Amino acid sequence: MAAGRKSLWRQLTWPWSPDSEREASEAVVRNLWLHWFPAKVSIRSLSWGYSFWLGTVAASLFVILTVTGVMLMFFYVPSVERAYGSVKDLQYAVSFGRILRNQHRWAAEGMVALAFIHMARVFFTAAYRGSRALNWLVGVVLLLGTLMLSFTGYLLPWDQLAYWAITVGTNIASQAPVLGPTIHYLLLGGHFVGQQTLLRFYVLHVFFLPALVWILFAYHMWRVRKDGGLAGLEPVRAMRRAEPKEMPRTKSYSLFGLTPGTSVAVMSSMGLEERDQVMSSPNLTRRMILVFLIVFNVTLVLALLFNAPLEGPANPSVTPNPAKAPWYFVWLQELVASTTIHIGSLTISGGLLGGIVVPGVLLAALVAWPFLDRSPEAAQGVWFARSRARQNLVFALITLAIIVLIVVGLYLRGPYWRLYWPWTARPVMPRVL
Amino acid sequence: MDSDRRKVLRWLGKGSVFAAFVAQIGAAARAFFPNVLYEPPTTFKLKPPNIYPQGYTFDAEHRLFVIRAAAKFHVISAVCTHLGCTVQWRGTEFDCPCHGSRFDPNGNVIAGPAPRPLPWFEVSVSPDGLLEVDSLSTVPEGSVLTVPTEKT
Repeated sequence: MAAGRKSLWRQLTWPWSPDSEREASEAVVRNLWLHWFPAKVSIRSLSWGYSFWLGTVAASLFVILTVTGVMLMFFYVPSVERAYGSVKDLQYAVSFGRILRNQHRWAAEGMVALAFIHMARVFFTAAYRGSRALNWLVGVVLLLGTLMLSFTGYLLPWDQLAYWAITVGTNIASQAPVLGPTIHYLLLGGHFVGQQTLLRFYVLHVFFLPALVWILFAYHMWRVRKDGGLAGLEPVRAMRRAEPKEMPRTKSYSLFGLTPGTSVAVMSSMGLEERDQVMSSPNLTRRMILVFLIVFNVTLVLALLFNAPLEGPANPSVTPNPAKAPWYFVWLQELVASTTIHIGSLTISGGLLGGIVVPGVLLAALVAWPFLDRSPEAAQGVWFARSRARQNLVFALITLAIIVLIVVGLYLRGPYWRLYWPWTARPVMPRVL
Repeated sequence: MDSDRRKVLRWLGKGSVFAAFVAQIGAAARAFFPNVLYEPPTTFKLKPPNIYPQGYTFDAEHRLFVIRAAAKFHVISAVCTHLGCTVQWRGTEFDCPCHGSRFDPNGNVIAGPAPRPLPWFEVSVSPDGLLEVDSLSTVPEGSVLTVPTEKT
């Protein structure tokens, strides 16, 4: 590649629209932004219908969140006196501030949903087998990181939702055996929700958690390559292995000169053949840019149509009635509200059982699952493999239970957390006493 | 013999560097447990007893109820024992808006996830004639403060 002969414009753009196969493979090596791609990518992993590009969608949302989040940091003041006002300013005084905040909010909710749906895809295609188990674990941590980012994020406006979510959330943490009160003190930076608490959650939200997610995301992508690409390639590899190999008849050199016969069969380390692969640039890069642009535009349209919620300013003496968590946590709210049990004189609070034990068991199941899955190898990379029907059903039922709890919490709970049908009138509760 | 001494010295050297590293991490972590708190006092004064009407009065600032029956006073916490939301007095019971806990007029759990009754705080009359509450000191249900009539 004699770069000197090209115009400056071409010098900047050739890796993205290579003129030849050779340029295409050089592009990946010589371009900073492309070097984390393989030179060639399998056609199967570019398929829209196998992976639905869910991980790319989640990653695109995270890029949008990082950029809009850094923009929001120019306007937000992490102080209990001024936080609410600075968010109100974003909503009403800053030019396009509302769109910025809305887009951040909807991208965040989208990322929670997409991270989960991506996990469901990986589960239903048994894409966590063998060496991919490690990447599944990284993914579980990324899902937790996403949830923690959401939790710390909706606290920052310091409105009623923020204040009561932080109160309930940290009280759940304080139910942990032995260390509970210490964790509570550490999270709040004292005994009460206050300035220290806001500052701690702010620094977690804008630095530690995003840094963790970025680093693990990079590792997640790197592991995908090290594990031989998407699990959807395994059926292709199995097919290629089963095909009878035509040994090219050739002359080869032996110690005593030319001998007739067959040469050794050469197979790439990917276990794929030439016809299974295409150049990463531009086949992969174009699709990634397309996915990103679609995701960006969807979040932008949502931001233009719907405002991010903002309740009244935090008021420690009055809890909103009912006080509801955002949809992705409302199933936990249902759990803590209904799992207090009495055994004789012993009472186990729902905060411990529904808030710590049940989520802990679910998390442990996620961590252990790849090591317990005994289904045949052939189930890898195949949607809803018959041999995994039972475990797919378990996953689907747990997901369904969570969705049911979310629907009950969002639509059937009225004042004082009583159950009401959606069509029955609910008593109107004063917001301020 | 010589090499043994070297080994020990080498271990001491490496070990002390590592120990210093770990101690520094510990020190950094310790900084997150504040030594000085700028928090409201746990013992505080309310209004003079004669201000309070008969029945249940919510004190928003301190998140508690002052309950008066003639000259008898007691104070019940408004903080739900489940996960810390503020309960509301609804004439016949306390209800919590977060997870639906319900308490009878004495703060005992009727229904919902609350694991314990609402605590009764120790209440007294301060020398300057105000009701004074010690929120770290709870008293058994039924303990009431009788205020001499000249102060009510």
